[in-house]
Amino acid sequence: MNSYISQWTPISFLASDPTVRRNWSISVCPLCYIAPANGYAKYDYAAGILHTIFFHRTLSLVRPKDVDCKFLEITYVQCGLPELEKEIDEKIEQFIAWVEKHPNRRSQVCLSFFDEKSKNPGWFVNKTERIYWEQWFINLHITSPKRKSNSSKGLTDIGWNALVETSSRCAALESSINEVLFQIINFANEKKDHIPAIPDRIFNHEIMIPRDDSSSDSVFGWNTDVIRRVLNSGHPYSL
Amino acid sequence: MASLSDSAGAGGGGGGGGGRAGAELMVPQFMHKALHAILAVRTPRPHASAPAPPAAAFRRRDRWFHLPLHAPPPPPAAEHLPEPSPAEPLVVDVYLAPSGGGGGAEEVVVERWTVACEPWPSPAAAAAVGEGLAVNRAYKRCITLLRSLYAALRFLPAYRAFRTLCASGQVYNYEMGHRVGSFATPFTRDEEATMRTSRFAPVETQLGRLVVSVQYRRTLADFNFEVTSLAPAAIITDYVGSPAAEPMRAFPPSLTEAAGSPFPQPSRRPNSWASPAPWPHTLGQQPKFSPPPTHYASPTPSPPTFGYLHSRFSGETAPMSIPQGGGGRGPVHHRNMSEPTRAFMFPPPSPKGLRGEAGMQESPTETNRSFKRADGIRMGDLYANLPSGSKIKDSRDESGRFSGVFSSSGSPRLGFSRSSSRLSMQDDTDDADFPFAVDDVYPDSRPGSSGGKDAGDQAGSSSHKSQDAAVGYLVHLLKSARPLRDSAYSPHTSRAESIEAGSTSSFMSRRTCDALEELESFREIKENLLARSRSRLQDSLDKL
Repeated sequence: MNSYISQWTPISFLASDPTVRRNWSISVCPLCYIAPANGYAKYDYAAGILHTIFFHRTLSLVRPKDVDCKFLEITYVQCGLPELEKEIDEKIEQFIAWVEKHPNRRSQVCLSFFDEKSKNPGWFVNKTERIYWEQWFINLHITSPKRKSNSSKGLTDIGWNALVETSSRCAALESSINEVLFQIINFANEKKDHIPAIPDRIFNHEIMIPRDDSSSDSVFGWNTDVIRRVLNSGHPYSL
Repeated sequence: MASLSDSAGAGGGGGGGGGRAGAELMVPQFMHKALHAILAVRTPRPHASAPAPPAAAFRRRDRWFHLPLHAPPPPPAAEHLPEPSPAEPLVVDVYLAPSGGGGGAEEVVVERWTVACEPWPSPAAAAAVGEGLAVNRAYKRCITLLRSLYAALRFLPAYRAFRTLCASGQVYNYEMGHRVGSFATPFTRDEEATMRTSRFAPVETQLGRLVVSVQYRRTLADFNFEVTSLAPAAIITDYVGSPAAEPMRAFPPSLTEAAGSPFPQPSRRPNSWASPAPWPHTLGQQPKFSPPPTHYASPTPSPPTFGYLHSRFSGETAPMSIPQGGGGRGPVHHRNMSEPTRAFMFPPPSPKGLRGEAGMQESPTETNRSFKRADGIRMGDLYANLPSGSKIKDSRDESGRFSGVFSSSGSPRLGFSRSSSRLSMQDDTDDADFPFAVDDVYPDSRPGSSGGKDAGDQAGSSSHKSQDAAVGYLVHLLKSARPLRDSAYSPHTSRAESIEAGSTSSFMSRRTCDALEELESFREIKENLLARSRSRLQDSLDKL
């Protein structure tokens, strides 16, 4: 397994303050991510981050459920809502499929909460617009494990060294993931006034992942959709 | 709770008085909830990893802040903790200490949670800040704050220690404990150096600012958790051993109590040869059942002891004093109820019909104890191995036992068996289940007699005579026999006086020397049977 320490900002938080009408973002420390041969591990980390965000933003009655990561000693909390779990699982699987098709490329998962309002209701058209009141950007850079040249001598040494290196990187990854999770806690608590009234269910949300049909060479090809939506919502967008 | 849920654009709708009342209700509930959330994952216990109950099982109190604490639930002791007061901070210290160590000398605090409602510095400040503050908004913020606390409890290093110590059936060299109070000793500089502080964004309420913070050790690598032993050893006070160990051991009183007994049948003695019953055992211990010794009487509805005797001796020409034992449907003494004199003739009945099942009565009585044999020899085995035509003689113990019968209980209905400890005693009060019907027991003719001597015998009328009954009858006859040189004695007269007419007359006509010869033969038979049973007992123990 290889690891890649990215100077990337792993997670950023964008929230709209209705009183100020200005968006802002918060950056945190880089995220160290390990891409093991088994893609299931990726599912754990990203899913854990998403579930943690949802756990803080699902203010209706939840049934908290502790979930252990498969390969790291990290436990995160799910809301215990089957529909939400299914949705996150599907999105993460799509994300993993994209990552496997585009190895060594930076990617981003965006979780947005919004309100829907009718816009210019007409006789035949009832157009609704989405008012995003919070967005979370999870930046990831997943690299594929590098194959070292086989040598008749020292195979065991290579294996042992790789094992030691992997264990140390796992520990570093655990620390990084914990930092990210704590940052989510801080973000979720620092800004709460913009959260709408508590509904009977989960807030309207959407999870954006990179798509294969992106025509742009940029790794942020999907960002155009996000920008378009933000522009349509009427809120200034700045990073 | 529903009234505290936020509504769009409520802003300032809480008002002054209503907002304060809501805050006075909400803040203590928040502190109480926070305390339970902390203790739920900082009190190691085996069932901490139990699955959460369905939503329908949520209590009303669980719905505070829309966060039921069920996975894992707080420890039962948390329910007895006093309600936190908003006026005082809530401090929870989580520490690790060596297992079994007394006192708090070696306790190391790994976490310190502080939940406090900091009052406003002045009434004016409270009015300025709290005025217009909607309690609904504060409640919504408290929801988020509690979620953060709940999630952070799982991110901290102490949670891994908690999960490790929760492993069922294992005891580690460290144990995790907690202290709840309103004050805690400040950390030393060295401790502060190893700790890290995390403060959650406070929530403003009418009563003050609700603040949650945690000081925790960055790593618990210094604590090497090692398994010291498996399930903690426990002494089983009411352990009932296998018959190989103490066959005649008295049953503990707890087994005879029906109320609240975990045993399937209070009157049934759980033992190694019985079918596996839900034997109560300590954590991690499993009931161990030894294979039933082959030569022991099995607890079947028809105890083979007497049933076997029945099969072996039915139709045989038994010694004169030993009737043809049948299935032993009931204690002999049951029959003796109608004729008190019979109590002197017949030994205690077999246990076969005591309960109509395995005959595993558990009614320790004095009479039962009087029949204990230190050598573990089971008379039932003796009878089981009795060769055909052999003479069976009663021993002094048996005679003493018979006398014990009389002394321990004046009721002739007392039934017991001398054959085995597993052949339990019948309770004095359990007259309805008297196993042996009175009509089943008839004394046989003289001992050592062949078939020709059965002319005057009425034993063949019943197939349920016991060896014990016959021997007891013999003893009684010997005791009640008239002097040999009594001129008034005549066989005809003896027959008329005998309760079991016929056989009595034959005894009365015998001479003392014949009786002594018979006694010697009985002794030889007894010693032969004892030797055989010892050898078989040894074989069975070797097999185990």
